[in-house]
Amino acid sequence: MFQPVSLKGDSPSPIDERIRGKYLILYIGIIILSLVPLSIFEYSYVIYFWSKTDYWLFFILLPLNVLAAIYIVQFSATLISVLILKIVNLLHVPKEGNFKRSLEDRDYLFWNIRNIVKKCPLYVTASNPFPWFKNRFTLWFFGVKIGKKTICDNSWISSEFVSIGANVIIGMNSTILSFGIEQDNFILRKIRVGNGALIGAKCFLLPGTVMEQNSKLSAHSYTSYDQVLRENSIYLGHPAKLKNT
Amino acid sequence: MERDNYSKFEMDFISTSGVYKTPFSLIIIVQLFVGGIVLFLVNLWFINGLYYLLTGSDFYSFGLKAEWYYWLLLPLNIYGNILLFTFTIILFSAGIFKLLNKLSPPREGIFERGSKDWKYMHRRFWVAYFPIWLARALPLPWIDIVVYRFFGTRVGKSVVLYEGYVDPLFIEIGDFTMTSLNICIFSHLIYQDKILIKKVKIGKACVVGPHTIVSPGTIMQDFAVLGVNSYTSIEQELEGNLIHIGTPVSLTLPIQSVEESKNKAEKVKLEPSNAEANQNEIDLNLKEE
Repeated sequence: MFQPVSLKGDSPSPIDERIRGKYLILYIGIIILSLVPLSIFEYSYVIYFWSKTDYWLFFILLPLNVLAAIYIVQFSATLISVLILKIVNLLHVPKEGNFKRSLEDRDYLFWNIRNIVKKCPLYVTASNPFPWFKNRFTLWFFGVKIGKKTICDNSWISSEFVSIGANVIIGMNSTILSFGIEQDNFILRKIRVGNGALIGAKCFLLPGTVMEQNSKLSAHSYTSYDQVLRENSIYLGHPAKLKNT
Repeated sequence: MERDNYSKFEMDFISTSGVYKTPFSLIIIVQLFVGGIVLFLVNLWFINGLYYLLTGSDFYSFGLKAEWYYWLLLPLNIYGNILLFTFTIILFSAGIFKLLNKLSPPREGIFERGSKDWKYMHRRFWVAYFPIWLARALPLPWIDIVVYRFFGTRVGKSVVLYEGYVDPLFIEIGDFTMTSLNICIFSHLIYQDKILIKKVKIGKACVVGPHTIVSPGTIMQDFAVLGVNSYTSIEQELEGNLIHIGTPVSLTLPIQSVEESKNKAEKVKLEPSNAEANQNEIDLNLKEE
Protein backbone atom coordinates (compact mmCIF):
# COMPACT_ATOMS: atom_id res chain seq x y z
CA MET A 1 0.00 0.00 0.00
CA PHE A 2 2.71 2.47 0.93
CA GLN A 3 5.22 3.30 -1.74
CA PRO A 4 8.89 2.88 -0.77
CA VAL A 5 11.41 5.66 -1.22
CA SER A 6 13.31 4.23 -4.15
CA LEU A 7 10.23 3.90 -6.38
CA LYS A 8 8.88 7.44 -6.15
CA GLY A 9 10.29 8.27 -9.57
CA ASP A 10 8.80 8.86 -13.00
CA SER A 11 7.49 6.13 -15.25
CA PRO A 12 10.00 3.72 -16.83
CA SER A 13 10.31 5.26 -20.28
CA PRO A 14 14.03 5.21 -21.03
CA ILE A 15 15.31 8.11 -23.12
CA ASP A 16 18.05 7.30 -25.61
CA GLU A 17 21.42 8.56 -24.35
CA ARG A 18 22.43 9.67 -27.84
CA ILE A 19 19.84 12.46 -27.84
CA ARG A 20 19.39 13.08 -24.14
CA GLY A 21 21.90 15.91 -24.10
CA LYS A 22 20.53 17.50 -27.27
CA TYR A 23 17.07 18.16 -25.85
CA LEU A 24 18.17 19.06 -22.29
CA ILE A 25 17.22 22.70 -22.95
CA LEU A 26 13.64 21.61 -23.72
CA TYR A 27 13.46 19.67 -20.44
CA ILE A 28 14.88 22.48 -18.31
CA GLY A 29 12.62 24.97 -20.11
CA ILE A 30 9.52 22.98 -19.13
CA ILE A 31 10.66 22.88 -15.49
CA ILE A 32 11.25 26.64 -15.38
CA LEU A 33 7.99 27.49 -17.17
CA SER A 34 6.02 25.23 -14.82
CA LEU A 35 7.49 27.01 -11.78
CA VAL A 36 6.47 30.51 -13.01
CA PRO A 37 2.80 30.24 -11.86
CA LEU A 38 4.03 28.99 -8.46
CA SER A 39 6.24 32.04 -7.97
CA ILE A 40 3.37 34.38 -8.94
CA PHE A 41 1.10 32.57 -6.45
CA GLU A 42 3.63 32.72 -3.61
CA TYR A 43 4.35 36.39 -4.25
CA SER A 44 0.65 37.30 -4.11
CA TYR A 45 0.18 35.15 -0.97
CA VAL A 46 2.97 36.93 0.87
CA ILE A 47 1.80 40.41 -0.26
CA TYR A 48 -1.80 39.68 0.76
CA PHE A 49 -1.30 37.97 4.14
CA TRP A 50 1.93 39.44 5.51
CA SER A 51 1.49 42.45 7.73
CA LYS A 52 3.07 43.21 11.08
CA THR A 53 -0.15 43.05 13.07
CA ASP A 54 -1.76 39.99 11.49
CA TYR A 55 1.12 37.64 10.68
CA TRP A 56 -0.64 34.71 12.44
CA LEU A 57 -3.04 34.35 9.48
CA PHE A 58 -0.04 33.87 7.22
CA PHE A 59 1.19 30.94 9.31
CA ILE A 60 -2.19 29.32 9.97
CA LEU A 61 -2.97 29.17 6.25
CA LEU A 62 0.52 27.81 5.45
CA PRO A 63 -0.60 24.13 5.20
CA LEU A 64 -3.22 25.10 2.62
CA ASN A 65 -0.53 27.07 0.82
CA VAL A 66 1.65 23.95 0.57
CA LEU A 67 -1.32 21.94 -0.75
CA ALA A 68 -2.06 24.60 -3.35
CA ALA A 69 1.60 24.93 -4.35
CA ILE A 70 1.94 21.20 -5.13
CA TYR A 71 -1.16 21.21 -7.32
CA ILE A 72 -0.25 24.47 -9.07
CA VAL A 73 3.11 22.99 -10.08
CA GLN A 74 1.45 19.78 -11.24
CA PHE A 75 -1.27 21.50 -13.29
CA SER A 76 1.06 24.03 -14.91
CA ALA A 77 3.63 21.34 -15.75
CA THR A 78 0.98 19.15 -17.41
CA LEU A 79 -0.57 22.04 -19.34
CA ILE A 80 2.77 23.29 -20.66
CA SER A 81 3.92 19.82 -21.67
CA VAL A 82 0.57 19.13 -23.39
CA LEU A 83 0.97 22.34 -25.41
CA ILE A 84 4.51 21.38 -26.47
CA LEU A 85 3.33 17.82 -27.15
CA LYS A 86 0.72 19.13 -29.60
CA ILE A 87 3.43 20.99 -31.55
CA VAL A 88 5.61 17.84 -31.56
CA ASN A 89 2.67 15.74 -32.76
CA LEU A 90 2.06 18.18 -35.64
CA LEU A 91 5.62 17.49 -36.85
CA HIS A 92 5.13 13.73 -36.62
CA VAL A 93 1.94 11.81 -35.88
CA PRO A 94 2.51 8.96 -33.36
CA LYS A 95 1.56 5.54 -34.72
CA GLU A 96 1.83 1.88 -33.70
CA GLY A 97 4.08 -0.64 -35.40
CA ASN A 98 7.53 -2.21 -35.53
CA PHE A 99 10.45 0.19 -35.98
CA LYS A 100 14.23 0.19 -35.93
CA ARG A 101 16.00 1.43 -32.82
CA SER A 102 18.16 3.98 -34.61
CA LEU A 103 17.96 7.75 -34.63
CA GLU A 104 17.38 7.78 -38.39
CA ASP A 105 14.00 6.19 -37.75
CA ARG A 106 11.67 9.15 -37.23
CA ASP A 107 9.16 7.17 -35.15
CA TYR A 108 11.82 6.17 -32.61
CA LEU A 109 13.28 9.68 -32.52
CA PHE A 110 9.92 11.32 -31.91
CA TRP A 111 8.98 8.72 -29.28
CA ASN A 112 12.09 9.81 -27.35
CA ILE A 113 11.23 13.49 -27.75
CA ARG A 114 7.71 12.85 -26.48
CA ASN A 115 9.17 11.12 -23.42
CA ILE A 116 11.44 14.08 -22.70
CA VAL A 117 8.43 16.42 -22.89
CA LYS A 118 6.32 14.22 -20.57
CA LYS A 119 9.04 13.52 -18.02
CA CYS A 120 8.57 16.53 -15.71
CA PRO A 121 4.78 16.29 -15.16
CA LEU A 122 4.93 12.52 -14.66
CA TYR A 123 7.68 12.92 -12.06
CA VAL A 124 5.71 15.59 -10.21
CA THR A 125 2.55 13.45 -10.17
CA ALA A 126 4.44 10.37 -8.98
CA SER A 127 5.93 12.26 -6.03
CA ASN A 128 2.68 13.97 -5.04
CA PRO A 129 1.89 13.04 -1.39
CA PHE A 130 -1.88 13.42 -1.72
CA PRO A 131 -4.17 10.79 -3.26
CA TRP A 132 -6.23 13.15 -5.42
CA PHE A 133 -5.58 14.10 -9.08
CA LYS A 134 -2.77 11.60 -9.55
CA ASN A 135 -2.07 9.21 -12.46
CA ARG A 136 -5.63 9.28 -13.78
CA PHE A 137 -5.67 13.07 -14.09
CA THR A 138 -2.25 13.53 -15.69
CA LEU A 139 -2.56 10.64 -18.12
CA TRP A 140 -5.97 11.94 -19.27
CA PHE A 141 -4.17 15.00 -20.67
CA PHE A 142 -1.77 12.76 -22.60
CA GLY A 143 -4.65 10.83 -24.18
CA VAL A 144 -4.75 7.78 -21.90
CA LYS A 145 -8.34 7.28 -20.80
CA ILE A 146 -8.80 5.61 -17.43
CA GLY A 147 -12.35 4.85 -16.30
CA LYS A 148 -14.01 5.66 -13.00
CA LYS A 149 -13.38 3.81 -9.73
CA THR A 150 -10.03 2.37 -10.79
CA ILE A 151 -7.10 1.83 -8.44
CA CYS A 152 -4.03 2.90 -10.42
CA ASP A 153 -1.90 5.15 -8.22
CA ASN A 154 0.86 2.78 -7.12
CA SER A 155 1.67 1.44 -10.58
CA TRP A 156 3.57 2.52 -13.66
CA ILE A 157 1.44 3.15 -16.73
CA SER A 158 2.82 4.17 -20.13
CA SER A 159 1.55 7.56 -21.21
CA GLU A 160 0.40 6.65 -24.71
CA PHE A 161 -1.40 3.83 -26.55
CA VAL A 162 -3.13 2.63 -23.39
CA SER A 163 -6.84 2.53 -22.60
CA ILE A 164 -8.17 1.31 -19.27
CA GLY A 165 -11.84 0.72 -18.45
CA ALA A 166 -13.88 1.43 -15.35
CA ASN A 167 -13.73 -0.45 -12.03
CA VAL A 168 -10.29 -1.91 -12.75
CA ILE A 169 -7.77 -2.80 -10.03
CA ILE A 170 -4.10 -2.38 -10.96
CA GLY A 171 -1.77 -3.82 -8.34
CA MET A 172 1.13 -2.43 -6.38
CA ASN A 173 4.31 -2.03 -8.39
CA SER A 174 2.83 -3.50 -11.58
CA THR A 175 3.83 -2.06 -14.93
CA ILE A 176 1.87 -1.45 -18.13
CA LEU A 177 4.26 -1.03 -21.05
CA SER A 178 3.03 -0.02 -24.50
CA PHE A 179 6.59 -0.14 -25.87
CA GLY A 180 9.15 -2.90 -26.14
CA ILE A 181 12.85 -2.84 -26.99
CA GLU A 182 14.18 -6.09 -28.47
CA GLN A 183 17.84 -5.59 -29.43
CA ASP A 184 17.66 -3.40 -32.59
CA ASN A 185 13.89 -3.43 -32.89
CA PHE A 186 11.47 -1.05 -31.29
CA ILE A 187 7.83 -2.06 -30.89
CA LEU A 188 4.82 0.15 -30.15
CA ARG A 189 1.42 -1.51 -29.69
CA LYS A 190 -1.80 -0.48 -28.04
CA ILE A 191 -2.86 -2.06 -24.73
CA ARG A 192 -6.55 -2.37 -23.91
CA VAL A 193 -7.85 -3.25 -20.45
CA GLY A 194 -11.60 -3.86 -20.26
CA ASN A 195 -14.08 -2.96 -17.55
CA GLY A 196 -13.84 -4.87 -14.28
CA ALA A 197 -10.44 -6.41 -15.04
CA LEU A 198 -7.97 -7.15 -12.27
CA ILE A 199 -4.17 -6.98 -12.48
CA GLY A 200 -2.31 -8.32 -9.43
CA ALA A 201 0.78 -7.02 -7.71
CA LYS A 202 4.12 -6.99 -9.58
CA CYS A 203 2.57 -7.83 -12.98
CA PHE A 204 3.89 -6.78 -16.38
CA LEU A 205 1.66 -6.16 -19.40
CA LEU A 206 3.73 -6.25 -22.58
CA PRO A 207 2.71 -4.28 -25.73
CA GLY A 208 -0.37 -5.48 -27.59
CA THR A 209 -2.00 -7.20 -24.62
CA VAL A 210 -5.79 -7.14 -24.63
CA MET A 211 -7.59 -7.83 -21.36
CA GLU A 212 -11.28 -8.40 -21.97
CA GLN A 213 -14.06 -7.71 -19.46
CA ASN A 214 -13.68 -9.23 -15.98
CA SER A 215 -10.48 -11.07 -16.88
CA LYS A 216 -8.07 -11.59 -13.97
CA LEU A 217 -4.29 -11.73 -13.98
CA SER A 218 -2.81 -13.24 -10.80
CA ALA A 219 0.04 -11.58 -8.95
CA HIS A 220 3.70 -11.87 -10.04
CA SER A 221 3.06 -12.82 -13.69
CA TYR A 222 3.58 -11.27 -17.09
CA THR A 223 1.87 -11.49 -20.48
CA SER A 224 3.53 -12.07 -23.83
CA TYR A 225 3.29 -9.79 -26.88
CA ASP A 226 -0.21 -9.46 -28.40
CA GLN A 227 -1.73 -11.87 -25.90
CA VAL A 228 -5.50 -11.85 -25.45
CA LEU A 229 -6.90 -12.62 -21.99
CA ARG A 230 -10.47 -13.94 -22.40
CA GLU A 231 -13.56 -12.83 -20.50
CA ASN A 232 -14.30 -14.07 -16.97
CA SER A 233 -11.17 -16.20 -16.73
CA ILE A 234 -8.07 -16.32 -14.54
CA TYR A 235 -4.54 -16.25 -15.94
CA LEU A 236 -1.20 -16.76 -14.19
CA GLY A 237 2.41 -17.70 -14.89
CA HIS A 238 5.46 -16.61 -16.87
CA PRO A 239 4.12 -15.91 -19.50
CA ALA A 240 0.48 -15.99 -18.41
CA LYS A 241 -1.55 -19.12 -19.16
CA LEU A 242 -5.18 -20.02 -18.51
CA LYS A 243 -5.63 -21.47 -15.05
CA ASN A 244 -6.99 -24.99 -14.91
CA THR A 245 -10.05 -25.23 -12.72
CA MET B 1 2.43 -21.24 15.71
CA GLU B 2 -0.72 -23.29 15.37
CA ARG B 3 -3.78 -22.55 13.36
CA ASP B 4 -7.34 -23.76 13.14
CA ASN B 5 -8.09 -26.07 10.26
CA TYR B 6 -11.61 -24.80 9.76
CA SER B 7 -10.39 -21.26 8.99
CA LYS B 8 -8.96 -22.22 5.59
CA PHE B 9 -9.69 -19.67 2.90
CA GLU B 10 -10.19 -20.82 -0.64
CA MET B 11 -9.52 -18.02 -3.10
CA ASP B 12 -8.70 -18.66 -6.73
CA PHE B 13 -5.78 -16.31 -7.14
CA ILE B 14 -3.71 -13.62 -5.46
CA SER B 15 -4.58 -10.03 -6.32
CA THR B 16 -3.12 -6.98 -4.61
CA SER B 17 -3.46 -4.75 -1.61
CA GLY B 18 -5.01 -1.35 -2.12
CA VAL B 19 -7.95 0.85 -1.25
CA TYR B 20 -10.61 2.73 -3.17
CA LYS B 21 -10.84 6.49 -2.84
CA THR B 22 -13.50 7.43 -0.29
CA PRO B 23 -14.63 10.83 1.09
CA PHE B 24 -12.86 9.86 4.31
CA SER B 25 -9.52 10.42 2.55
CA LEU B 26 -10.06 14.15 3.11
CA ILE B 27 -8.76 13.46 6.64
CA ILE B 28 -5.32 14.14 5.15
CA ILE B 29 -6.18 17.87 5.02
CA VAL B 30 -7.19 17.76 8.71
CA GLN B 31 -3.88 16.05 9.57
CA LEU B 32 -2.00 18.72 7.61
CA PHE B 33 -3.81 21.48 9.51
CA VAL B 34 -3.16 19.95 12.93
CA GLY B 35 0.54 19.53 12.15
CA GLY B 36 0.82 23.07 10.80
CA ILE B 37 -0.91 24.74 13.75
CA VAL B 38 1.16 22.90 16.38
CA LEU B 39 4.28 23.83 14.42
CA PHE B 40 3.26 27.49 14.34
CA LEU B 41 2.40 27.71 18.06
CA VAL B 42 5.58 25.95 19.23
CA ASN B 43 7.71 28.12 16.97
CA LEU B 44 6.11 31.29 18.24
CA TRP B 45 6.66 30.24 21.85
CA PHE B 46 10.21 28.97 21.21
CA ILE B 47 11.46 32.00 19.31
CA ASN B 48 10.01 34.46 21.78
CA GLY B 49 11.18 32.41 24.77
CA LEU B 50 14.75 32.07 23.49
CA TYR B 51 14.93 35.71 22.60
CA TYR B 52 13.62 36.67 26.07
CA LEU B 53 16.13 34.34 27.71
CA LEU B 54 19.08 35.85 25.89
CA THR B 55 18.17 39.55 25.76
CA GLY B 56 15.44 40.12 28.32
CA SER B 57 13.02 41.76 25.88
CA ASP B 58 10.17 40.43 23.75
CA PHE B 59 10.69 39.40 20.15
CA TYR B 60 7.96 40.98 18.11
CA SER B 61 8.63 40.38 14.44
CA PHE B 62 10.00 37.73 12.10
CA GLY B 63 11.96 40.21 10.03
CA LEU B 64 15.71 40.59 9.62
CA LYS B 65 16.05 42.31 13.01
CA ALA B 66 17.16 39.15 14.85
CA GLU B 67 20.60 38.83 16.46
CA TRP B 68 23.45 36.75 14.97
CA TYR B 69 22.92 33.70 17.23
CA TYR B 70 19.41 33.33 15.84
CA TRP B 71 20.84 32.78 12.37
CA LEU B 72 23.46 30.43 13.82
CA LEU B 73 20.75 28.21 15.33
CA LEU B 74 18.49 28.39 12.25
CA PRO B 75 19.57 25.04 10.65
CA LEU B 76 18.82 23.18 13.89
CA ASN B 77 15.52 25.02 14.09
CA ILE B 78 14.51 23.98 10.56
CA TYR B 79 15.35 20.32 11.12
CA GLY B 80 13.61 20.31 14.47
CA ASN B 81 10.54 21.84 12.84
CA ILE B 82 10.38 19.04 10.27
CA LEU B 83 10.58 16.40 13.02
CA LEU B 84 8.00 18.24 15.11
CA PHE B 85 5.61 18.44 12.15
CA THR B 86 5.85 14.73 11.37
CA PHE B 87 5.61 13.57 14.98
CA THR B 88 2.50 15.65 15.71
CA ILE B 89 0.84 14.22 12.61
CA ILE B 90 1.92 10.68 13.57
CA LEU B 91 0.57 11.03 17.13
CA PHE B 92 -2.67 12.63 15.97
CA SER B 93 -3.37 9.99 13.34
CA ALA B 94 -2.40 7.15 15.70
CA GLY B 95 -5.07 8.49 18.04
CA ILE B 96 -7.68 8.46 15.27
CA PHE B 97 -6.53 4.96 14.29
CA LYS B 98 -7.11 3.68 17.84
CA LEU B 99 -10.51 5.37 17.94
CA LEU B 100 -11.51 3.62 14.69
CA ASN B 101 -10.27 0.31 16.13
CA LYS B 102 -12.53 0.81 19.16
CA LEU B 103 -15.54 1.69 17.00
CA SER B 104 -15.15 -1.46 14.96
CA PRO B 105 -12.46 -3.94 16.12
CA PRO B 106 -10.47 -5.27 13.15
CA ARG B 107 -11.37 -8.85 12.23
CA GLU B 108 -9.92 -11.47 9.90
CA GLY B 109 -12.03 -12.99 7.14
CA ILE B 110 -13.67 -12.26 3.80
CA PHE B 111 -15.97 -9.24 3.69
CA GLU B 112 -18.43 -8.06 1.04
CA ARG B 113 -18.26 -4.62 -0.51
CA GLY B 114 -20.26 -2.06 1.48
CA SER B 115 -20.16 -3.97 4.77
CA LYS B 116 -19.00 -2.34 8.00
CA ASP B 117 -15.59 -4.01 7.95
CA TRP B 118 -14.97 -2.90 4.36
CA LYS B 119 -15.72 0.73 5.31
CA TYR B 120 -13.57 0.73 8.44
CA MET B 121 -10.72 -0.99 6.60
CA HIS B 122 -10.68 1.87 4.09
CA ARG B 123 -10.88 4.47 6.85
CA ARG B 124 -7.94 2.93 8.71
CA PHE B 125 -5.82 2.91 5.60
CA TRP B 126 -6.55 6.52 4.72
CA VAL B 127 -5.61 7.57 8.26
CA ALA B 128 -2.28 5.74 7.98
CA TYR B 129 -1.53 6.95 4.44
CA PHE B 130 -0.09 10.43 5.05
CA PRO B 131 2.05 9.80 8.19
CA ILE B 132 3.76 6.84 6.52
CA TRP B 133 4.38 8.92 3.40
CA LEU B 134 5.96 11.62 5.57
CA ALA B 135 8.07 9.10 7.49
CA ARG B 136 9.36 7.62 4.25
CA ALA B 137 10.17 11.11 2.93
CA LEU B 138 12.40 11.87 5.92
CA PRO B 139 16.12 11.00 5.71
CA LEU B 140 16.01 8.87 8.88
CA PRO B 141 15.66 5.17 8.01
CA TRP B 142 14.30 3.98 11.37
CA ILE B 143 11.40 6.37 11.50
CA ASP B 144 8.89 4.35 9.51
CA ILE B 145 9.33 1.39 11.89
CA VAL B 146 8.35 3.79 14.69
CA VAL B 147 5.27 4.77 12.69
CA TYR B 148 4.29 1.15 12.05
CA ARG B 149 4.57 0.52 15.80
CA PHE B 150 2.23 3.43 16.47
CA PHE B 151 -0.37 1.83 14.20
CA GLY B 152 -0.38 -1.46 16.08
CA THR B 153 2.02 -3.49 13.93
CA ARG B 154 4.35 -5.57 16.07
CA VAL B 155 7.86 -4.93 14.79
CA GLY B 156 10.81 -6.33 16.75
CA LYS B 157 14.16 -4.67 17.33
CA SER B 158 16.74 -4.02 14.59
CA VAL B 159 14.41 -4.85 11.71
CA VAL B 160 15.07 -3.64 8.15
CA LEU B 161 11.75 -2.51 6.69
CA TYR B 162 12.10 0.62 4.60
CA GLU B 163 12.11 -0.53 1.00
CA GLY B 164 8.78 -2.24 0.48
CA TYR B 165 5.03 -2.02 0.29
CA VAL B 166 3.94 -2.99 3.81
CA ASP B 167 0.39 -2.85 5.16
CA PRO B 168 -0.04 -1.23 8.60
CA LEU B 169 -2.40 -3.73 10.23
CA PHE B 170 -2.27 -7.44 11.13
CA ILE B 171 1.46 -7.88 10.69
CA GLU B 172 3.93 -9.32 13.20
CA ILE B 173 7.65 -9.19 12.54
CA GLY B 174 10.20 -10.71 14.94
CA ASP B 175 13.60 -9.42 16.02
CA PHE B 176 16.56 -9.19 13.61
CA THR B 177 14.46 -9.91 10.52
CA MET B 178 15.69 -8.44 7.25
CA THR B 179 13.42 -7.52 4.35
CA SER B 180 14.99 -6.65 1.02
CA LEU B 181 14.35 -4.20 -1.77
CA ASN B 182 10.99 -3.93 -3.44
CA ILE B 183 9.03 -6.47 -1.40
CA CYS B 184 5.31 -6.63 -0.76
CA ILE B 185 3.97 -7.75 2.64
CA PHE B 186 0.19 -7.84 2.32
CA SER B 187 -2.21 -8.47 5.18
CA HIS B 188 -5.22 -7.88 2.95
CA LEU B 189 -6.12 -8.54 -0.67
CA ILE B 190 -8.71 -6.52 -2.54
CA TYR B 191 -11.05 -7.89 -5.22
CA GLN B 192 -13.75 -5.88 -6.97
CA ASP B 193 -16.58 -7.17 -4.76
CA LYS B 194 -14.85 -8.46 -1.63
CA ILE B 195 -11.85 -8.02 0.61
CA LEU B 196 -9.73 -10.68 2.34
CA ILE B 197 -7.98 -9.94 5.62
CA LYS B 198 -5.62 -12.39 7.31
CA LYS B 199 -2.74 -12.03 9.71
CA VAL B 200 0.89 -12.34 8.60
CA LYS B 201 3.49 -13.65 11.05
CA ILE B 202 7.18 -13.39 10.33
CA GLY B 203 9.43 -14.98 12.94
CA LYS B 204 12.85 -14.10 14.34
CA ALA B 205 15.89 -13.58 12.09
CA CYS B 206 14.04 -14.34 8.84
CA VAL B 207 15.18 -13.08 5.46
CA VAL B 208 12.61 -11.94 2.90
CA GLY B 209 14.42 -11.78 -0.44
CA PRO B 210 14.08 -9.04 -3.05
CA HIS B 211 11.02 -8.81 -5.36
CA THR B 212 8.90 -11.19 -3.30
CA ILE B 213 5.26 -11.12 -2.26
CA VAL B 214 4.20 -12.31 1.19
CA SER B 215 0.46 -12.90 0.90
CA PRO B 216 -2.01 -12.76 3.80
CA GLY B 217 -2.05 -15.68 6.20
CA THR B 218 1.60 -16.60 5.63
CA ILE B 219 3.51 -17.86 8.66
CA MET B 220 7.29 -17.72 8.44
CA GLN B 221 8.89 -19.63 11.29
CA ASP B 222 12.17 -18.54 12.89
CA PHE B 223 15.27 -18.46 10.64
CA ALA B 224 13.27 -19.13 7.43
CA VAL B 225 14.49 -17.62 4.16
CA LEU B 226 12.19 -16.63 1.28
CA GLY B 227 14.16 -16.70 -1.97
CA VAL B 228 14.42 -14.09 -4.69
CA ASN B 229 11.45 -13.44 -6.99
CA SER B 230 9.07 -15.91 -5.34
CA TYR B 231 5.70 -15.50 -3.68
CA THR B 232 3.72 -17.39 -1.07
CA SER B 233 0.14 -18.50 -1.58
CA ILE B 234 -2.58 -17.61 0.91
CA GLU B 235 -2.19 -19.29 4.31
CA GLN B 236 1.10 -20.99 3.47
CA GLU B 237 3.44 -22.04 6.25
CA LEU B 238 7.19 -21.76 5.72
CA GLU B 239 9.31 -24.02 7.88
CA GLY B 240 12.26 -22.62 9.78
CA ASN B 241 15.98 -23.08 8.96
CA LEU B 242 15.24 -23.62 5.24
CA ILE B 243 15.31 -21.64 1.99
CA HIS B 244 11.96 -21.47 0.18
CA ILE B 245 11.73 -20.81 -3.57
CA GLY B 246 8.98 -20.89 -6.19
CA THR B 247 5.99 -19.12 -7.68
CA PRO B 248 4.13 -19.99 -5.46
CA VAL B 249 6.64 -21.48 -3.00
CA SER B 250 7.08 -25.20 -3.71
CA LEU B 251 10.82 -25.99 -3.40
CA THR B 252 12.81 -26.06 -0.17
CA LEU B 253 16.59 -26.09 0.11
CA PRO B 254 18.82 -26.47 3.17
CA ILE B 255 20.86 -23.51 4.40
CA GLN B 256 24.55 -24.39 3.99
CA SER B 257 27.79 -22.85 5.07
CA VAL B 258 30.39 -22.03 2.41
CA GLU B 259 32.57 -25.03 3.32
CA GLU B 260 29.67 -27.46 3.05
CA SER B 261 28.67 -26.20 -0.38
CA LYS B 262 32.31 -26.40 -1.54
CA ASN B 263 32.54 -30.00 -0.40
CA LYS B 264 29.33 -30.82 -2.25
CA ALA B 265 30.60 -29.17 -5.42
CA GLU B 266 33.76 -31.30 -5.26
CA LYS B 267 31.66 -34.43 -4.89
CA VAL B 268 29.73 -33.47 -8.04
CA LYS B 269 33.03 -33.05 -9.88
CA LEU B 270 34.03 -36.60 -9.01
CA GLU B 271 31.06 -38.12 -10.85
CA PRO B 272 31.91 -40.91 -13.38
CA SER B 273 31.90 -38.63 -16.45
CA ASN B 274 34.72 -36.53 -15.02
CA ALA B 275 36.35 -39.27 -13.00
CA GLU B 276 39.24 -39.89 -15.42
CA ALA B 277 40.24 -36.25 -15.68
CA ASN B 278 40.17 -35.89 -11.92
CA GLN B 279 42.20 -39.06 -11.45
CA ASN B 280 44.87 -37.66 -13.80
CA GLU B 281 45.02 -34.44 -11.82
CA ILE B 282 45.37 -36.33 -8.54
CA ASP B 283 48.18 -38.42 -10.04
CA LEU B 284 50.01 -35.29 -11.21
CA ASN B 285 49.68 -33.76 -7.76
CA LEU B 286 51.10 -36.90 -6.15
CA LYS B 287 54.11 -36.89 -8.50
CA GLU B 288 54.87 -33.25 -7.65
CA GLU B 289 54.81 -34.04 -3.96
